[in-house]
Amino acid sequence: MREAWRRIRAVAANTFLEAVRQKVFAVLLVFALVLLGGANYFAEFSFQEQFKFLKDLGYATISLTGLLVGLLGAAQLIPAEIERRTILTALCRPLRRWEFVVGKYLGLASLLGVMLGIMGAVFWAVLRWKEAQLIGAEGQAVAQAIQAEARDPRLWQAFWLIAAKLLVVCGIAVFFSTLATSTTFVVAMTLMVYLIGHLQSVAREQWLESGEAAGWALQAFLAAVALLVPDFNLYGLIDEIVAGNAVDGRATLQVIAYSLAYLGVLLAASAWLFEGRDL
Amino acid sequence: MSRKLSLILGGLLLAGWGVIKLPWEIRMTRQQRQATVGFSGPTTVALREKLGQGMALAALGGFRGLAANALMLQAHGAWEEKQWVRVRSALEMATLLQPRVALFWDLASWHLAWNAAVAAEQYSREPSETRRRLEARKWVEAGRDLLERGTRAVPEKALLFQRLGDLYWQRLQDYGAAAACYREALRKPDAPPYLERFVGYALEKSGDREGALEYFRALRRSLGDPPDPARKPEIVDREIQRLKKELSEPPSKAGR
Repeated sequence: MREAWRRIRAVAANTFLEAVRQKVFAVLLVFALVLLGGANYFAEFSFQEQFKFLKDLGYATISLTGLLVGLLGAAQLIPAEIERRTILTALCRPLRRWEFVVGKYLGLASLLGVMLGIMGAVFWAVLRWKEAQLIGAEGQAVAQAIQAEARDPRLWQAFWLIAAKLLVVCGIAVFFSTLATSTTFVVAMTLMVYLIGHLQSVAREQWLESGEAAGWALQAFLAAVALLVPDFNLYGLIDEIVAGNAVDGRATLQVIAYSLAYLGVLLAASAWLFEGRDL
Repeated sequence: MSRKLSLILGGLLLAGWGVIKLPWEIRMTRQQRQATVGFSGPTTVALREKLGQGMALAALGGFRGLAANALMLQAHGAWEEKQWVRVRSALEMATLLQPRVALFWDLASWHLAWNAAVAAEQYSREPSETRRRLEARKWVEAGRDLLERGTRAVPEKALLFQRLGDLYWQRLQDYGAAAACYREALRKPDAPPYLERFVGYALEKSGDREGALEYFRALRRSLGDPPDPARKPEIVDREIQRLKKELSEPPSKAGR
């Protein structure tokens, strides 16, 4: 097992370095500029609204940047290796296919982790800068309320939820990349699942509540969506946190546990599918 | 492992996981909805009813906050141009997308019950004052309806009950209803301390001076010994003295 872990780490490190060489971190500059620009855009609103806009913008930008990096990175993981035939040189070594898949995923997850860490730090810095700016403009009378908005510890809950969601999306992309030969297919399918995932709960409820009123074809479709697609609405807790509402820590932990379990299943299924694939 | 076998195994694993995850998802969704009193977002009945025309909105699920903010900005722009119908439509959609954001309900009701209503009252192209007043009243009621929906969507916060009280007081001159709203707001843990005096003021404005005096006395007793200075005991004492004096005077003078 230790040997397997060493090989997985080697693949992960290689994947990470390869991604870094592709200058993906340049995307972070765009992220920081969007956030800084956005931080000043809503100056005519009250400080509570300004923070709401800024947090929404920050989380949406983190999500979108992470989604793009994860999606494009994962889409290139296996199809590109097959296309370049570099996969053959990797797999002719004492490296099992499942180790290759898990290593590739962990390399991508590390990249995502580093990017999320940097984006989180930039976001935190922008919030603190906004706090100082608003206290200067509004005066000390509301300083406590402004600080409470900027330093809300629940913001970390939202951050972890975004990270969990992105890791699942990357897992989906890896799953499709073990099936596909083209990156376009992987990107298109993953995006489709991502979008359908936000409607999964609607499909699930329709399926469970409609009974025999719906035709069998519709029932089968709804069942497939409910059973195979993750429920991305569960991550809607992020909106609750941004709205300043109390969110139970256990609810956050449950969603994170769900994400990790989903990820485990996706990686296991990906490894199985890749085992039987002709290269 | 053959390709066929790996496909079957992969498919079985996913299907098996689907059966396991389903009750888990249902339980988490139920818990989240309970925590958000059923107003968690696009899976709520209200939005589902509009899904026919607004499927794109639900697809925006991951970026609902941004979409709602864009609608608020749109409402702000329409407000600057005094396009009240556009203001209302954008605000309704923003509150529908993010019903748990108390700020949105607050801002939306302020635009309708204050800005739009005052604009209707002062609309120079309508010569009939009665019509202008009727139109203004409609906007005030639209603002009140929004706030009432808001209090159902975010019942754990004091803000919207307080704003509803303000609206009853300032726009509808229904001081009894205002007092009831302030009382409801005070039941919430985040109610500002000054609000407790507003119940007494509203009762007095509604004509119930004895009730107001009784309320201020009860409030004074609740301040503790020594009283909490943040709850301004000196103001409560002053109000008790004033009301006592006015109630002991003949009705003609007390009415001043």
